[in-house]
Amino acid sequence: MNEHVKNIIPETTDLSRRSFLVGTAATGLVLGYAAVPGIDQALAAPASFEPSVWYSIAPDGLVTVTCGKADMGQHIASTMAQIVAEELGASWKDMRVQLASNDPKFNDPVLGAQITGGSWSTMMNFDAMSRAGAAGRMALTEAAASAMGVPAGELVVRDSVISHPKSKKSMSFADVVKGGKATKSFTPDELKAIKLKSPDQYTLIGVSVPQLDIPSKTNGTAKYGIDVMLPGMAYGALVTPPVRYGATVKSVDDSAAKKLPGFIKAVTLDDKTGSTTGWVVAVANTYAQAKKAAEALKVSYDGGPNAKVSSESLLAEAKRLQGLDDSGQFFVKDGDPNAAFGSAAKVLEAEYTTSINIHAPMEPMNATAEFKGDILHIYSGNQFATRSGAIAAGAAGIDPKYVVMHQMWLGGGFGRRLDADMMVPAVQAAKAIGKPVKVIYTRENDMTMDYSRPLTYQKVKAGVDADGKLVALSHDVVSAWPTARWGIPDFLSPSVDKKGPLDAFTVNGADFFYTVPNHHVRAIKNEMAHSATPSGQLRSVAPGWTFWAIESAIDEIAHATGKDPAQFRVELLDGKGKNDGGAQRLRNTLLAAMGLAGYGTKKLPKGEGMGVACVSSQERATASWTACVAHVAVASSGEVTVKKLTVATDVGTQVHPDNIRAQVEGAALWGMSLALFEKATLKDGGIEQTNFDSYTPLRMSQMPEVAVNVIANGEKATGVGEPAVTVVAPAIGNAVFNAVGARIRGLPITAEAVKAAMKA
Amino acid sequence: MANLNINGRNMSVEAANDTPLLWVIREQLQMTGTKFGCGAGLCGACTVHLNGEAVRSCQTSIADAAGKKITTIEGLSAKGDHPLQKAWIAEQVPQCGYCQSGQIMQAASLLSKNSNPTKEEVVAHMDGNLCRCMTYSRIQKAILRAASEMRTASATGTERRAT
Repeated sequence: MNEHVKNIIPETTDLSRRSFLVGTAATGLVLGYAAVPGIDQALAAPASFEPSVWYSIAPDGLVTVTCGKADMGQHIASTMAQIVAEELGASWKDMRVQLASNDPKFNDPVLGAQITGGSWSTMMNFDAMSRAGAAGRMALTEAAASAMGVPAGELVVRDSVISHPKSKKSMSFADVVKGGKATKSFTPDELKAIKLKSPDQYTLIGVSVPQLDIPSKTNGTAKYGIDVMLPGMAYGALVTPPVRYGATVKSVDDSAAKKLPGFIKAVTLDDKTGSTTGWVVAVANTYAQAKKAAEALKVSYDGGPNAKVSSESLLAEAKRLQGLDDSGQFFVKDGDPNAAFGSAAKVLEAEYTTSINIHAPMEPMNATAEFKGDILHIYSGNQFATRSGAIAAGAAGIDPKYVVMHQMWLGGGFGRRLDADMMVPAVQAAKAIGKPVKVIYTRENDMTMDYSRPLTYQKVKAGVDADGKLVALSHDVVSAWPTARWGIPDFLSPSVDKKGPLDAFTVNGADFFYTVPNHHVRAIKNEMAHSATPSGQLRSVAPGWTFWAIESAIDEIAHATGKDPAQFRVELLDGKGKNDGGAQRLRNTLLAAMGLAGYGTKKLPKGEGMGVACVSSQERATASWTACVAHVAVASSGEVTVKKLTVATDVGTQVHPDNIRAQVEGAALWGMSLALFEKATLKDGGIEQTNFDSYTPLRMSQMPEVAVNVIANGEKATGVGEPAVTVVAPAIGNAVFNAVGARIRGLPITAEAVKAAMKA
Repeated sequence: MANLNINGRNMSVEAANDTPLLWVIREQLQMTGTKFGCGAGLCGACTVHLNGEAVRSCQTSIADAAGKKITTIEGLSAKGDHPLQKAWIAEQVPQCGYCQSGQIMQAASLLSKNSNPTKEEVVAHMDGNLCRCMTYSRIQKAILRAASEMRTASATGTERRAT
């Protein structure tokens, strides 16, 4: 990050990874009326009751929850409303949601910023939303008690009605709000002291209530960023260079574009935020005209330093870096694997790779910018309003406090919308023509300029003693560092060898729950990849590659020692030392998945096999315990057909069981899509895949049977949007090995690679 | 300039003849339920009906659409209560929801011709519509549910007429 991007340090600085304190409410509740502009107005229209920044109750009794998290299909807005409603005692039919602006008062109570990712939202907001709901209930109850002339302690709150069973008196929330007597306020300490419901008292948490956003997504009325319409606005279409990052514009010839109807201007971006390089925006009256104008612009480039970089050169550089003794920093440093290898009965080494992958949400990137007086208004669906607002400000050359981010529904996020590149062309085009501008990426722009999942290279070396026990494991992870790119120190973690901060979002998962006495994990930054393919956080981030390596390697070790791979895992999950608790939950989840899949209970036809994997994604401190049994059939051509994925996941507490199933199924299918169908390649510095004909996510006809089984044991609620992504690829790879003896170590698994490994 | 009949209304739009119908619907007519996904007929997010047939509006020029009956998600039913829309809610299909207008329009063109599709027929008809959230199993269930409800409604209607 650079001097042009200011003010993006989260307000809370204690963000050290793996040490989130889940359960501290930092939200100060202000109870009482919202500021009433004038007494006349107040008399004319009774004000809403705003028990906290998170919701208000209108005089008609409707409760509107403001969601500070980006809703990209995980229904988090509805989930926040559900948590508030539980403690408030509101009827679900009275609940409504709206999306927050970037006002810091809507910052995540734990993270201190507006950022949505990591499958963190439910776990980190559960307590604050619960307390906000409970405080509202207490305030309403007190007001009702005084109005009814009965003791507050005798009142019962249920379905937006406060009733007094003894006298059979009752008041609705609407009645209380209209009465205007709900004025109790809570200090942060008082909020903390509120005794919340115990799970056996829940009436809404754990119930699959209808998601509040779904009706609008069946009739075309849900508004996404791309749907924003402002009076007098123009449209921008991009011309992007053939090189992903580092190119510069030498010249722009707009003579042909000028002859086209509706053309307004070609704007060459001057992007001091570094989000884009070498981009030109063609601005016109309509998007169709802008696109034609973009095609008519003749732009010449200097390709820059990355113009010759390819996937092959990135991989070669990764291998070179891994081979150096002093590369990278240590993420885990337990015992001394190198010494242990010397005395081990058997040492195994293997290399694992994953390709570049593209987010490709169905809604292509877009943003609309409007300057109104001193204020820059941005309309876009975004996962990181705190940083994206600062990027927009940087593009405009103004202070971030003058930027208002208008959040929209996200037509898919998957981590792509943590980035803010789309703000830059919208802002600079709007500034250049003095009108609001909506910039829409073509699918080709969207794919070739993705902040992709980086190409990764991992080397695992394992030592087994004479009893077949895993005694040493060293694991090197080489990749671009997506989170380091943000330039926010709080999102980096100290290395255990004190060699400076590392990007834990490249190695999370490698700190697994298996008991291995000598265990090293090294995080190595591939500067070439970091520069040529600026990477982003793609659904599940590091565990999407670290578990590919670890869960494949564990399988290989088990086979090499003649043990059943599932049983081998159960033995490693002994819960000793620092693994106590998590290891047992993961073991139980694995056993559940095995039982549900009938693992080892039936003889499968030739060419078929089952494989297992289990993961503690996303992070050690935020894990959902997830296991998968994949059942595959492998043809003699090497083609892999997934017959069934059996997924079990321990999520602690279920807020919305049906939504959890939807998220876990979607995540598992993402995992399968990444395992078998999605591959991007870099050539001459550019991503070669441009649309859904060459980059091919899973379609309906490729879908296997997916059996999702959720374990809810009353522990704290954990995240479900990502973990199942990470467990599927190794389960499939291990199943392929069990089916035909072909060990695949590179993602995606291709028929060619399987066929070649079958012969070998 | 082209005269278009959209959702039962005649409208005149100012645009070059080769302008994709998608952008005219979205920008000039400000009906944004129809979505842009790929611009190449590869994802189905922009699906609308031309004379009842599902087409990709990003690949259909307004010249091609002129004189035909165009139906968008906004015009599929009067109150968002087409059996498919009701089934989409009953099965809680959408996640991000961005592709779902196109999915529903694609499915509607199947059910208008085949009120009792097999699962295989559903897959064959729907395979051109991508859902990046991977809601495919719920889409299948919702289509089969809507088909069943449409058959029941139609059987009930027949009985009523008969009595």
